[in-house]
Amino acid sequence: MPDVGVLPVVAALRDLLPRGGLTRGSVVAVPEFGLLSLALAAGPSADGAWCAIGGIPEAGVLAAAGLGLDPERTLLVPELGNSWPQVVASLLDGCELVLFRPPTRASAQVRQRLEATLRRGRGVLLVAGDWPGAQVRLRVMAQGWTGLGDGHGRLRSCCAEVIADGRGEAGRPRTSWLWLPAEDGTVAVADPADIPADVADDPAAGAATLRVVNGG
Amino acid sequence: MTQERVLVVRCPTLCTPEQGALEQGALEQGALEQGADRQAARLFERVVSAVMEFCPRVEVVEPGVCAFAARGPARYFGGETIVATKIAAAIARFGVDGRVGIADGMFAALLAAGAATGDAVTFIPPGATPEFLGGQPVSVLDDPDLAGLLHRLGIRTLGDLAGLPEADVASRFGAAGEKAHRLASGRDMRPLDARPPAQDLSVTQEFDPPETMAEPLVFAAKALAERMHATLNAKGLTCVRIQVQATWEDGRESSRLWRHDGLLTAVQVADRVRWQLDAWRTDALGEGPGGVVSLRLTPDQVVRATGQQLALWGEAVVTDRVARAAMRVQALLGHEAVLRPRLGGGRNVSEQVTHRPFGERGELGEKGEFGEKGEFGEKGEPSLPAEQPWPGRIPGAAPAVVYPVTREATVTDLAGQPVTVSGRCVISAAPAQLAVGTGRPRAITGWAGPWPLTERWWDPDAASRRARFQLVTDDGRAWLAAVSDGCWQIEAGYW
Repeated sequence: MPDVGVLPVVAALRDLLPRGGLTRGSVVAVPEFGLLSLALAAGPSADGAWCAIGGIPEAGVLAAAGLGLDPERTLLVPELGNSWPQVVASLLDGCELVLFRPPTRASAQVRQRLEATLRRGRGVLLVAGDWPGAQVRLRVMAQGWTGLGDGHGRLRSCCAEVIADGRGEAGRPRTSWLWLPAEDGTVAVADPADIPADVADDPAAGAATLRVVNGG
Repeated sequence: MTQERVLVVRCPTLCTPEQGALEQGALEQGALEQGADRQAARLFERVVSAVMEFCPRVEVVEPGVCAFAARGPARYFGGETIVATKIAAAIARFGVDGRVGIADGMFAALLAAGAATGDAVTFIPPGATPEFLGGQPVSVLDDPDLAGLLHRLGIRTLGDLAGLPEADVASRFGAAGEKAHRLASGRDMRPLDARPPAQDLSVTQEFDPPETMAEPLVFAAKALAERMHATLNAKGLTCVRIQVQATWEDGRESSRLWRHDGLLTAVQVADRVRWQLDAWRTDALGEGPGGVVSLRLTPDQVVRATGQQLALWGEAVVTDRVARAAMRVQALLGHEAVLRPRLGGGRNVSEQVTHRPFGERGELGEKGEFGEKGEFGEKGEPSLPAEQPWPGRIPGAAPAVVYPVTREATVTDLAGQPVTVSGRCVISAAPAQLAVGTGRPRAITGWAGPWPLTERWWDPDAASRRARFQLVTDDGRAWLAAVSDGCWQIEAGYW
């Protein structure tokens, strides 16, 4: 039986998140806008939720649609303006998932106000930026593209190591190797055998690789 | 064929130099630019409204001249001369020199009104029109060339012209002559174009003293909306949008258009007024704008009410909750701040997604239906068909980061020299380093290209010629870059 307290995510991201989805009323943060944040938004959208993307004029809707985001149920607010906390709160009233990048640093007071709105509305706030107190934090530790040579080929797929940690039930860090994106534009779990050596050997990612292989 | 009886009111002092039939709407909007003309137009507007007391369907023929079918009003008031006298008296009250002419057909009535008899009313009895026209000089035909020619041929009056056989006139003078002959013999068949005028359907509430509290304003807005809806309903009309205008104590005005489509209730209109006032207060931080002195609702794009059909399939139905949220944001940031994306075709990553402001109905192509070309201009580019092949499109997964405006970049080779691409698409050296904007340089670990793209070469303004590359840098990121006129630009990023 699906958990009604969470918004579903695409299959490949389930293992990264406590309870296998985005807990309603919580804040999920990624340090920077990218395909990972669009992938997180794609699941709820494909499941019928309305999504808003705020303050990210460069959001690639085509890539998001490839991941499963439904453009018909998406609102874009490219510029949030000066009163952005109010705009984000308004978006949270209407949409179950709001992906946004704060134009200015969010003060503790602003964060508390938005989190209170969030708990009332049972939506999920997906922040592309810094958000102290986020329940879950995801980040790409290492990534490498395949398909491109020295003057030939084309970009095919990207193998990325994603780490999730956070507070409470998300406290234990979880790591996954993902195709972000796979060659067909979707997200898939990467088989350890397929991980390109040059990505896995990245010194910054070395320790994490070991954990994954050991953990199965 | 008997001619319609026409009553023409002509105010010689208000006939502005602009010739030709101006729509009444244009008059109302003050299309006449010069001050004196505008004053004349305003005065004439009052004349027209006075005339409309006698007959609601009045055609404004040109500035200073209006006309209506005399039959109905004549029967109601007990005679054509009685109506004419009453109208002349009504106009005289404005201190305007007004002449009234009644005759069979518009042409004769215009001449009758223009006839320089001392009397304010020129009455041509039914059937006497050919006789009246017969005495007029050919110069009244408003065709100087033809009139001059006729004059030299010894045809001095319309009576002379009407006496000639129509076929001969037509063969000698062509279409213009035929038309003149028809007018001269009193067979002018131009029907009156008497549409009911565009009415002012707006409703206004003044506040004295200025109202500073939100609640009474919202309450007043609800009452105003009820009044406006009642007026529209009584006429069988509805509006596509509604304009809410609030004038503040310091003279500033907040005006916003809201989608209505005949679906909003008075309470929902009041909600929108509340959001708009909230947004205004938030914007005007610091120096408060004071209270509101007047609130005005204007139905915009009034159309006949035909009932509403909600979409059954196709477009995802926007739930009330989403619509309310989107409109709240629109109240804060403006109509075009909330967009809905639409996927389309095209060779460039930036043109494959187009946007339309939230609340715009239907497809972008349908926009013409509302005649709003300019308003949503730049966002309203038509999307290119997605189903057609777009050779030259970058294959593979779409980039997650698509810069709305490309970012400048520097690409250098191993020797530190800028990498260039020749006109024949030959690259000067393998790219080795990429610096985006003023950022630190990143080492390039893989690259492919150049893929040339020449678009719209037939249009000098829109033509573009670029060579595109995919680059991978040592931080694991991939970039879509393009060289155009020797400059490197980053169009998109893959991460």
